[in-house]
Amino acid sequence: MLDERAAKILAAIGGRDNVVELEPCITRLRCELKDNSLVDEAALRGLGVHGVVRIGGAVQIVVGPEADTIASDIEDLL
Amino acid sequence: MTVSTALRVSSPVGGEVAGLSAVPDPVFSQAMVGPGLAVRPDPVAGDVLAPIDGQVATLHPHAFVVAGESGQAVLVHLGIDTVRLKGAGFTMHVVKGETVRAGQPVIGWDPAALEAAGYATICPVVALDAQNGALVDVAPDGPVSPGDPLFVWTG
Repeated sequence: MLDERAAKILAAIGGRDNVVELEPCITRLRCELKDNSLVDEAALRGLGVHGVVRIGGAVQIVVGPEADTIASDIEDLL
Repeated sequence: MTVSTALRVSSPVGGEVAGLSAVPDPVFSQAMVGPGLAVRPDPVAGDVLAPIDGQVATLHPHAFVVAGESGQAVLVHLGIDTVRLKGAGFTMHVVKGETVRAGQPVIGWDPAALEAAGYATICPVVALDAQNGALVDVAPDGPVSPGDPLFVWTG
């Protein structure tokens, strides 16, 4: 189930080709993307994320305490 | 989450209590991951203490989560954007999965050095995924010593 969530989150940030770097930080995924406009916030919220924050050039997806697990699941898909 | 009980959460550091809204990071200031408090640490090198009894569920050099027996998990984050330091200046005294007691040293750090390097040193202490209104006996803004009560998390 987590794998599926990871895949859906990845799809909602523009897929693997859009990801430059993805780093978990306790409760959030810090995503450096090629094109931030590909981020589908509505889809992410539909996946139950707590929020989407754009800070500097990065997009941070607040997923809760499972961030580390989700990030490693997404990294398996990259 | 299993049945929870009233969980006393104590301050991981000494300093000044502030609301989460004082934290210069929207994830914390908007309580996206849960309600809680923040502490502006005294600018002296020292240890950051476990806020509750429990198991170290997540451990990074700059942040950690302790999960209590009831499943309630408390996040302590040391400063803001400190993930960028990639552990430099932090000393971990425990390992992930270890059982700790409230007040036990978890991480050593030097907030004065972080401040000198341009980082905000304020420490959010968050009741992860707690409901609004679940925190009672919340400490008022003002001085706090390490291990002093911050709030009680009711289930």
